[in-house]
Amino acid sequence: MKKHNNLPELCKNYRKQLFEKFLEVGQGHPGSVFSMIELVVTLFHNSHIRFDKNTNKFIDKIIISKGHATVALYPILKEFGVIDIKEWDNWGNKNNETILRVFGNTSIPGIDATSGSLGHGLGIGCGLAYLYKKQKIDKKVYVVISEGELYEGSTWEALLFAAHNKLENLNIIIDENSLIILGTTDDCLRLDPIKKKIEGFGFNVDHIDGHNLEQIEKALNNKIKGVKVILAKTVKGKGFSIMENKANWHYWNPIDEKEIEICRKDIE
Amino acid sequence: MIKLQRDIFLDEINSQLEKDKDIYVMSADFGAASLDITRDKYKDNFIHCGISEQAMFDIGTGLALEGKKVIAYAMGPFISLRAIEQIKCGPAMMNLPMTILSVGIGLGYADAGPTHYATEDYACLRAIGGTSIFTASDNKIAKQIAQNILNNKSVNYVRLDRHPTEELKEYENNYDFSDGFRIFGSHSKDKIAIISHGRILKNCIKSLKEMKDNVFIIDLFRSKPISNKFCETLKNVKTVLVVDEQTQYGNLTSAVQSELSKNNIFPKVKNLSLPDEYIFKNGGRDFLLNLHKLDEDSILNSCKELL
Repeated sequence: MKKHNNLPELCKNYRKQLFEKFLEVGQGHPGSVFSMIELVVTLFHNSHIRFDKNTNKFIDKIIISKGHATVALYPILKEFGVIDIKEWDNWGNKNNETILRVFGNTSIPGIDATSGSLGHGLGIGCGLAYLYKKQKIDKKVYVVISEGELYEGSTWEALLFAAHNKLENLNIIIDENSLIILGTTDDCLRLDPIKKKIEGFGFNVDHIDGHNLEQIEKALNNKIKGVKVILAKTVKGKGFSIMENKANWHYWNPIDEKEIEICRKDIE
Repeated sequence: MIKLQRDIFLDEINSQLEKDKDIYVMSADFGAASLDITRDKYKDNFIHCGISEQAMFDIGTGLALEGKKVIAYAMGPFISLRAIEQIKCGPAMMNLPMTILSVGIGLGYADAGPTHYATEDYACLRAIGGTSIFTASDNKIAKQIAQNILNNKSVNYVRLDRHPTEELKEYENNYDFSDGFRIFGSHSKDKIAIISHGRILKNCIKSLKEMKDNVFIIDLFRSKPISNKFCETLKNVKTVLVVDEQTQYGNLTSAVQSELSKNNIFPKVKNLSLPDEYIFKNGGRDFLLNLHKLDEDSILNSCKELL
């Protein structure tokens, strides 16, 4: 488990599951979840994050620093058998208890760090990567951050640390969907040129289409020295025409039957 | 020359590092003579995080997630308030043991001014779920905290003074460190119980000396969690005076009253602390303590008034 031959179909399937779950739960962050589906599907199903069948645990670490999008991992963890299917089924059903919630935490199997407040995950990933490097432990650390986390000073503090300590086992994936809650990053407070800024740390930055599975795979396999950074240009709400590139779909919105039908058709 | 509390504490950690390589000491560019030994002799277990308190806690959280015993070290005002959300969302929320070593509490950096005062650190860290808080009144307590701290599986906030502190051993009775307090003088329900912690406690000694028939002192070196034995000690005591080098709201008085009321113990409680404002006047630490009635004569007068 769980190398799939048809990743595009799998991405569609996960989007379907997640959309139906959002409908049930009635809250969450669909825009941010759907923008990173191809990224996490490639990480897990192309074995970049290695799975140990004997322990039913992942060997490598992944931190979804943009904690509001951790939900994207739940169907994947369910597929690997790390999360009990009952937990998934119970979520959104008010009469049943579940460990799942909008923001991930370490009480959920497969979630390596509690997140929700932005700007923490990269530092935590640095701590793990530092330790594995020092102790020569063969584990990689993947940290998915939103470009919005580049507004947090602690992210830049962690980048300094990663550069100074040459954390070759650290992989930073920036989900660049260009939207934050109040609008585009360009309009609110410009972040660009992100690539140039990150390259200033001496890191190799692959600027790719974050929905192109081939480009993601190539970037993840790119053998480079030092910290690997993938700047993945994505579309917020990818896959759903009513949500794509709409800042207001950062959060789940009330949705009528017609819109539900449109969404279901979008992912047929 | 009297050793500083930070050196006493770090000497003990260095001796533990000799056999326990799971200990990691992190600094946000704050030093000590004994930290130089850590950096030299145990360099694989020392991490300089830059002047980056927030990243220090996130990085430390990564280490602690892998079972390492992390000590994060920096100046009191910055290690407490600058990174409090990292403390909350990292080790506190994930139930990871981590020791926050905070130096320069109260008005320790008197000549620097209020940016450098840690006069509300206690209230802030006390509010973080599951923290244990220790405050050293002298080197003996600083050493005992260091000896025991890594066995404590919570987020530990250890408050040390910047200045040399007088040894208070001559006034103490026998005590068990795990109870979190020691008594100076003889305990009686009919006496005023002065409760304090840290360097300011020495300013209460004059009251003990001059009013020994009417006063005893409790050095509450572990003020969170407060032990049942502490509450038992205060059961039936009618008058309590709490002395703390912190601003008024959320200081040691609040902690003591909250714990006593939880146990249905309701003595008369007077709070002696700093005002709810930032202090820009200068004249040194003792001048400021004097100005705000936290010097030994003012404390003595408060005791007399309470009689």
